[in-house]
Amino acid sequence: MPFKFFFYLIALFVLYSAYFVVTARNLFRSAMGLLAVLIGIAGMYLLLNAQFLSAVQVVVYIGGIVVLMVFAILLIADVTQKVFEQSPRWRQGLIGAASLLWFSLLAGSMLSYRFGAAAAAVDKSGSIREIGRALLSPAAGGYALPFEVISLLLIAALVGAVTVARADAYNDERKEGKA
Amino acid sequence: MNGPTLEHYLVFSALLFCIGLYGMLTRRNLIAMLMSVELVLNAAALNFVAFHHFLFPGDSGGAVFPIFIIAVAAAEAAVALAIFIALFRHQQHLDVQQSDSLKG
Repeated sequence: MPFKFFFYLIALFVLYSAYFVVTARNLFRSAMGLLAVLIGIAGMYLLLNAQFLSAVQVVVYIGGIVVLMVFAILLIADVTQKVFEQSPRWRQGLIGAASLLWFSLLAGSMLSYRFGAAAAAVDKSGSIREIGRALLSPAAGGYALPFEVISLLLIAALVGAVTVARADAYNDERKEGKA
Repeated sequence: MNGPTLEHYLVFSALLFCIGLYGMLTRRNLIAMLMSVELVLNAAALNFVAFHHFLFPGDSGGAVFPIFIIAVAAAEAAVALAIFIALFRHQQHLDVQQSDSLKG
């Protein structure tokens, strides 16, 4: 029973914060809403007995991505001006109705499908030990190749981000050199 | 144990997905759109973990894929925010409706 109570508590918290993310006119408040959503999802992972994922969610998402976004918002979007253009009302209503329709289709199909019971109950599923073995095992059930590819992707993204963000300074130097 | 079932998590993540979709299509600021994408990614990751927990507890794929999703989301956010910074230097705003200089 307490699990269900916590589930509904976290679900309400996350959905309210998500609504805040997509409707707040101030971008900084939107980012704080995103922070609340990510904390709530980390709580959901705890309810699902995935402690390691919960920790990764907090460290990488909240400590990395949200902080990066707050930096970008403070750098780029003039937070003090507080006027961000919204889409026209008719478009918001249309897209809201379409999203609701899509949700009803998704929920209806998922609730009408009978999922079977779990194949076999395993103690401590999703534990750090299991995840570590799966990530680094080159055997058939392992994820060693995706793991290495992800590290390449992260390197490429890092170099690409620095290059793109600095491109303007490079162009200015070149212009000055020509002039 | 009388806890929440798989269907609870599925409906919840479908709702989160649709809120993110709504934000992605209605927001006009690029950073706000990126935040809505993060909502969608989180809904997908939660589905992976829920299926892993309830249906396939012996298969580690459901526990490993959210880590990949988080890593890809980090790479995506870094590159996207760098592009936004370059775009903002170029045109002084991030409004998608006004960013139409490639329009014929």
